[in-house]
Amino acid sequence: MSAVLQQLVSQPYKHGFVTDIESDTAPRGLSEDVIRMISARKGEPDWLLQFRLDAYRHWLTMTAPTWQNVSHPPIDYQDIIYYSAPKPKKKLASMDEVDPELLKTFEKLGVPMNERAALAGVAVDVIFDSVSVATTYKAKLAEVGIIFCSISEAVRDHPELIRKYLGSVVPTGDNFYAALNSAVFTDGSFVFIPKGVKCPMDLSTYFRINTQDSGQFERTLIVAEEGSSVSYLEGCTAPKFDTNQLHAAVVELVALDDADIKYSTVQNWYAGDENGVGGIYNFVTKRGLCQGRHSKISWTQVETGSAITWKYPSCVLLGEGSSGEFYSVALTNHMQQADTGTKMIHVGRNTRSRIVSKGISAGRSSNSYRGLVKIGAAADGARNYSQCDSMLIGDRCSASTFPYLTVQNRASVVEHEATTSKIGEEQLFYFAQRGIDAEQAISMIINGFCRDVFIHLPMEFAVEATKLLGLKLEGSVG
Amino acid sequence: MVAIPLPALGSQALPPVPGAAAAAGLAEVVEAARAAAGRLPVPTPHDEAWRFTDLSPLARQPWQVDSGAAPTLDAARLAPLELDEAADARLVFVDGRFAPVLSSTAALPSGVRVGALAAMLADGGPAVREHLGRHAAFDVDFFSAVNTARLGEGAAVVCARGVQVPGAVHLLFLSTGRSAPLAIQPRVLVVAGEGSELTVVEEYASLGDSMVFTNAVTECVVEPGATLRHVRLQRENAVSFHVGRCAVSVARDARYRSVAVDIGARLSRLDHAVTLAGEGAEVTRDGLALLDARQHADSHTLLDHAKPHGTSRQLHKCVCDGGSHAVFNGRILVRPDAQRTDSSQQSRALLLSARAQVNAKPQLEIHADDVKAAHGATVGQLDADERFYLASRGLPADQARRLLTYAFAAEVIERIPVRSLVGRLAAQVMARSGL
Amino acid sequence: MKDPAATTLLEVRGLHATVNGVPILKGLDLTVRAGEVHAIMGPNGSGKSTFSKVLAGHPAYEVTGGEVLFEGRNLFELEADARARAGVFLAFQYPVEIPGVTNSAFLRLAYNAKAAAEGREELDPLEFDDLVREKAKLVEMDPSFLDRSVNDGFSGGEKKRNEILQMAILEPKLAILDETDSGLDIDALRIVAGGVNALSSPARAIVMITHYQRLLNYIVPDHVHVMADGRILKSGDRSLALELEARGYDWVTGAREAA
Repeated sequence: MSAVLQQLVSQPYKHGFVTDIESDTAPRGLSEDVIRMISARKGEPDWLLQFRLDAYRHWLTMTAPTWQNVSHPPIDYQDIIYYSAPKPKKKLASMDEVDPELLKTFEKLGVPMNERAALAGVAVDVIFDSVSVATTYKAKLAEVGIIFCSISEAVRDHPELIRKYLGSVVPTGDNFYAALNSAVFTDGSFVFIPKGVKCPMDLSTYFRINTQDSGQFERTLIVAEEGSSVSYLEGCTAPKFDTNQLHAAVVELVALDDADIKYSTVQNWYAGDENGVGGIYNFVTKRGLCQGRHSKISWTQVETGSAITWKYPSCVLLGEGSSGEFYSVALTNHMQQADTGTKMIHVGRNTRSRIVSKGISAGRSSNSYRGLVKIGAAADGARNYSQCDSMLIGDRCSASTFPYLTVQNRASVVEHEATTSKIGEEQLFYFAQRGIDAEQAISMIINGFCRDVFIHLPMEFAVEATKLLGLKLEGSVG
Repeated sequence: MVAIPLPALGSQALPPVPGAAAAAGLAEVVEAARAAAGRLPVPTPHDEAWRFTDLSPLARQPWQVDSGAAPTLDAARLAPLELDEAADARLVFVDGRFAPVLSSTAALPSGVRVGALAAMLADGGPAVREHLGRHAAFDVDFFSAVNTARLGEGAAVVCARGVQVPGAVHLLFLSTGRSAPLAIQPRVLVVAGEGSELTVVEEYASLGDSMVFTNAVTECVVEPGATLRHVRLQRENAVSFHVGRCAVSVARDARYRSVAVDIGARLSRLDHAVTLAGEGAEVTRDGLALLDARQHADSHTLLDHAKPHGTSRQLHKCVCDGGSHAVFNGRILVRPDAQRTDSSQQSRALLLSARAQVNAKPQLEIHADDVKAAHGATVGQLDADERFYLASRGLPADQARRLLTYAFAAEVIERIPVRSLVGRLAAQVMARSGL
Repeated sequence: MKDPAATTLLEVRGLHATVNGVPILKGLDLTVRAGEVHAIMGPNGSGKSTFSKVLAGHPAYEVTGGEVLFEGRNLFELEADARARAGVFLAFQYPVEIPGVTNSAFLRLAYNAKAAAEGREELDPLEFDDLVREKAKLVEMDPSFLDRSVNDGFSGGEKKRNEILQMAILEPKLAILDETDSGLDIDALRIVAGGVNALSSPARAIVMITHYQRLLNYIVPDHVHVMADGRILKSGDRSLALELEARGYDWVTGAREAA
């Protein structure tokens, strides 16, 4: 790799600060006692404790998956802190009551909640380590019947909804990390959009891991009733620690008839340093159920952080005419590893899915797309189109594509395409010969490469995503 | 005669393999393979590589290992299988045993040696001993291990440097099913010497309707600047099992052009691994699986770009009717050294019936940055526009469907470099399509 | 013949260059004045393309001796992109494909980079669109190509036309056309040459690098140079190219050996 490229891809992590906030922290390790403690701290009803214990007992019988194209030393699940909440834990009614240290944190993150939220018209829920600290615009949303709150509050205030939908898309024993999450999840966001309501603003959650050695196990549940629609945004950062931290979230989406859920993620967990020391293990289960006729779920993700990313935001297309979309940009640099993609399970008739995945590998990283498109026997008229492109920057990284196509129905069409390209010296020279410097050239190539994904991000996030990729790949040139 | 369960086929002490004595020089290889066959379990769907192919019907069945009697066959039954291009350039094996009476290599030019493995090991020159058992890795693969442990019967084709062989060499493995259920272990070695040009047709067919398990291993070595055209045709009967391994090494500036067609067998599996081992190697690999009823065909290909400036082109097609199930796993691996690789793969599957099923997994693994690689996969039905076009020209819908199905398969068949075989297969597909 | 008193644009003296440590240019001299059209001809491997890449600043080529003055200034002090903004344009023999980046965005960025360097006003997308549509007529490009990715999926002829369009937009002082005629059929060659001719001006010099005389029927040079083994062996006027066509390169390279 040329010196210019080398420089461009080496850019320090800008969110690596620790916030000095006193935490209420559980002892290391996992046992039924720890689960009971978490449940008691949160004042949960008995059925939820049972949900957790069932998941835990199931988890004990499971082993971590090994088929993904990533490698890491075994995780010691008894060396993780499963609960860490900032003190004081009293309920916050307004932004004025939020710990000033926290507000400073968000300033550093570029998320000054009150001003920015007001300017952008975005309602923000903030999950700090494991606990939701503030939800803005709650009252305004409540006027149209929308519930947007932390999962803990929802358990208390809307137990019937949580009991009905929690675990309905990702069962407690679905996979190793989902089972772990179901046992120990500490907080997360809950969104409920009632029948016929178009959510008047984008809803947004920022997640941050702050305590060393703590895991983050948040749980997000979004239910969109008949004819409703919502656009939900999620952003993630974590400070620099030289140990690995586990992030095992579960996200469940349910869309009823004609409902439309758009879920966007910009993931920038700490990725470890250039030698692969530290960084987040991002092992996440995200799944949406298009339960209703003509319902639609769209995942858009920009994955730039984490030492290891392992996630497959999926759609189960049950309702007739329902559709699923997955738009992804995954960038890996240095020693990062990503094995990410999607699953589109076509069950109902005339279901549609579309996959656009863009992988960018630099440094010594490994970037894999893994996806499943399954057309069930009853899915007459189902259609899928997938486009998976990889770009390599430098000659020590790798890019792989593992699409699985399973088709059990003849009246359906599945199309998959994949290509690889690169940013090399010849491309940069061509730009230079037209008077364009390397930094601009790379930014232009990357943005061009990712355009098909970025157009699906809400404007606010598209700007952030572009900047983030820039941060990751551009540097001080010349 | 004793019937042996599948897991013990390679490891159990058995009556000597015909030709085994001549293989004595490869005793170490055979011994290592026997140990591997004893150690390796029969794959199950829990193994990623066998995820969609369940071998339990094969594993349940105990197998005879020798038909006993010396092979005989009425020459008249052979006639429909003969190829014009390979008249007097043909080896015939019946129930796993070489049939010299039915074979002839009289038409071959000097410089190309074609013979039964035993004879070739004895006097086929150093190439046979040098390459046999060295390319098909048996230490990780149960079926290669079993075949290698039973090394003895098979064919070797060795083409000397610079020799151009006109026509084709036809290696015909027939089963009559006289002592079913019979397990046979055919072995083929093809060495195309530097700058030579050679066409080999490797064909597996049944003459009876009883159950046979063919476990075939083929190794091809294409030396610098050589061209090897390789046709692999599997059309065994619908109760048989066929597992094939084909390992190919393509040297600098050499060309390997291959077409593999699976029409027969109840359950077939082919692992075709081609290594572009020298700079500027050029490979085309086309495949067709044409399935009906309860047939299951699983094709795993690996194009392993190990050196720079390699080119590979791949087209794989599946046509599934009835309750059949086709699996295609096409892996393209570009190793760190293999800069300037240009690789593309197309996989197309056609489902003709509501009960048919396809699993396709095209895989790209790229470890070099200056690479052009692409793959595309489609699964679907016949193109509605094409059907409408034919209908608008007066063709009844059913006939249009048959014609388009034929055309879909014919794209691969027509790439076979042996005209008489193209004609024969085309006729067979037309008949099958009801045309 | 043009005015010998015209400004000297490019002065190459004793230029030596290597690629991967292999010497390719071995003492090349050349003077180009504003308004002149030069043709550099030579057999494969003579160093013609290397010369064009060295002038444009390709990182793979190392200058090991000699000097190049562009408008009296040491060209090698400038990075490749700064040379381009200073007015050195290379029409590539093999234009690079850039999937995902549209022609219009690419051209506008290049135009504005140069405009900014010269202290001119940058153009917004709408203003630029007017400019590019006008210039596209020069090379008979359909405006729809503006929305396509740079050179991606272009035919050989389209790529070369795109190079000349870029030249028209960037309005360089010195345009180096590296084998611009290769791979073109007669129609495409006529269009490309027409574009180049339309762009010739007393302030601009053109250096064509070509293996064949054919291009020179369409773009008539003032000076013809024959290059072999990293040097210019013979210079003359248009008639030199015709003589080369008739007698082959051996005529010149052989003559050198005899001398």
